[in-house]
Amino acid sequence: MLIDIQNLKKDYLMGEFSVTALSEINLQINKNEFVAIMGPSGSGKSTLMNILGCLDTPTEGTYLFDNMDITQLDDDALSAIRNKHIGFIFQSFNLLPRMTALQNVELPLMYAGVEKDERLKMAKASLEKVGLGDRWRHKPSELSGGQRQRVAIARALVTKPGIILADEPTGALDSKSGIEIMEIFTQLYEEGHTVLIITHERDVAACANRILEIRDGMITNDTTNINTKIGELSLAN
Amino acid sequence: MQLGENISIAFLGLIDHKFRSFLTILGIIFGTASVIAMVAIGEGAKKQAIAKYQDLGVSNIIVRDKDLTDNELEEVRMKFSKGLSFADAKAIREILPGVISVAPQSEIKLDAKSGDRSSKSTVIGITPEILEVLNYTTEKGAFITTDQYDRQLKVAVLGATVARELFSYENPVGRSVKLGDQWFEVVGTMETKALFTETVGELASRDLNNDVYIPLSTFNKRIPKENQYASEINQLTVKLRNSDELIESAAVIRNIIDRHHFNNDDFSIIVPFELMKQEEKESRIYNFLLASIAAISLIVGGIGIMNIMLASILERTREIGIRRAIGGRKADILGQFLTEAVVLSISGGIIGVFLGVFLSVGITWITDIETSLTLYSIIIAFSFSVMVGITFGYLPAKRAANLKPIESIRHE
Repeated sequence: MLIDIQNLKKDYLMGEFSVTALSEINLQINKNEFVAIMGPSGSGKSTLMNILGCLDTPTEGTYLFDNMDITQLDDDALSAIRNKHIGFIFQSFNLLPRMTALQNVELPLMYAGVEKDERLKMAKASLEKVGLGDRWRHKPSELSGGQRQRVAIARALVTKPGIILADEPTGALDSKSGIEIMEIFTQLYEEGHTVLIITHERDVAACANRILEIRDGMITNDTTNINTKIGELSLAN
Repeated sequence: MQLGENISIAFLGLIDHKFRSFLTILGIIFGTASVIAMVAIGEGAKKQAIAKYQDLGVSNIIVRDKDLTDNELEEVRMKFSKGLSFADAKAIREILPGVISVAPQSEIKLDAKSGDRSSKSTVIGITPEILEVLNYTTEKGAFITTDQYDRQLKVAVLGATVARELFSYENPVGRSVKLGDQWFEVVGTMETKALFTETVGELASRDLNNDVYIPLSTFNKRIPKENQYASEINQLTVKLRNSDELIESAAVIRNIIDRHHFNNDDFSIIVPFELMKQEEKESRIYNFLLASIAAISLIVGGIGIMNIMLASILERTREIGIRRAIGGRKADILGQFLTEAVVLSISGGIIGVFLGVFLSVGITWITDIETSLTLYSIIIAFSFSVMVGITFGYLPAKRAANLKPIESIRHE
């Protein structure tokens, strides 16, 4: 089991009031699953993803990632887990604008302490995997939205993480680029990766083989999706 | 992450913002440059001050007649003091241990004339011993010899200014000058000496280049005394073998002359070396003050760095969030921004050193102020600028490292 969450609760302090963002979350995710988390805005899905991605810590409950108790780790250890085991993909790409595509992909390896030559090789291979082998010299501003998201995927993949966490990855893209990105996720899943997408679009969620619905900070539905057909993806149109 | 990576990231970041980086380090540049230039000015002044005492001889003790009014002079004569005399010189030579030489001299202000030109000068009667106590070198001709002294010849050696005023650029050697109402033959001219513009103890300030040297024997025979009570000689310059015992020797000299002058307080003793040490001490304080004022501008420069870095961190909050999300530790972020501050201040320091050296040389070139560049001032200014960068870069870097990843990654 890759992820095992028991009785997780997350409160936020808003001034004097404590707001509960997540409560009674119990969730197990195995290796090589393609999970979609669905829910309207404010439902707590982003909070869940932040906790899953070790960017935030739960108020109560336990979170085992690959049998490591995340709640017991300090900031440096959490950074190391984010670096080695988690690949983030964001709605707004979050690339560093002044660096080239290659430098952006190299960055996690730099924090991992990989030597320069090895780093370049791995980063180039990762860019080739997402079909941008010839664009490594370009800066994000010289790339289309779809291409930028593919650079972000290359960056997420470069450290060979245990799980890929994507937060609304198609949210800022046109439908054609969105389909291309979802095709990449499907391909990664088929190659054996564990992929978790957060979305509020049913069509995007339909690509996954397991769909979690979240509402008011609780998981309300956990279904297995047999008909994962990316061809039927219509997205915005 | 290795240091090398951090440095290259920092450089990339700074090159991206060339103009802003330049503005940031401007304070450091001027701070470093002003520390170097200020210290150079101070050191130059110190050097000049010391040169003045070296002209007086650092292992010498000078005994001088006090400048007394006619009434006071009459009083001390009534109390049996004859003023400074050859007998005093002889006594010092015989009693004081470690004496190399005692050179008596007399002086009087007279106009030196040649043809229709005239120069205000101080005529100094010297004995050949002067060459043993002071480093007198002639530019043209030769200095007064023992033979000329013994024969009481009317020969003179002119100071550089007197020679120029009377003879322009012609060679004065062999020509005649009139001192008071006596004619003298010029046998030599002196090299230009450091200006002696401040009063040192009882030595009134005077321009050594206005001196005219004649044999003391001739002086006493040919030049009329100022008044009937005038002493035989005005000054004794005592040269000692060893400058460690100047204070003790000065005390012995005071005893000897006190006895000869029947305890009349009509002379004073000057120890140039002591005065020099005192002046050095004073100029150290003065230099420290100058450097401190300049250092304040360096600190202000450091505050500039802190300011711009805080602004830059606000602008790059999202970048910090991204770096944290993909695995950058707090220490990596701290290192990145601290390195930026250090790279900035080192660049500022290097440019500042060049500017400071340029300024110091330029000041001497344009004005007459003497400056003296010293390695220590450059090292201090440079290391201080780097220290300022680290100190003022730390707070912003720490703040950047402590930003919460989830909040900063959503920062617009």
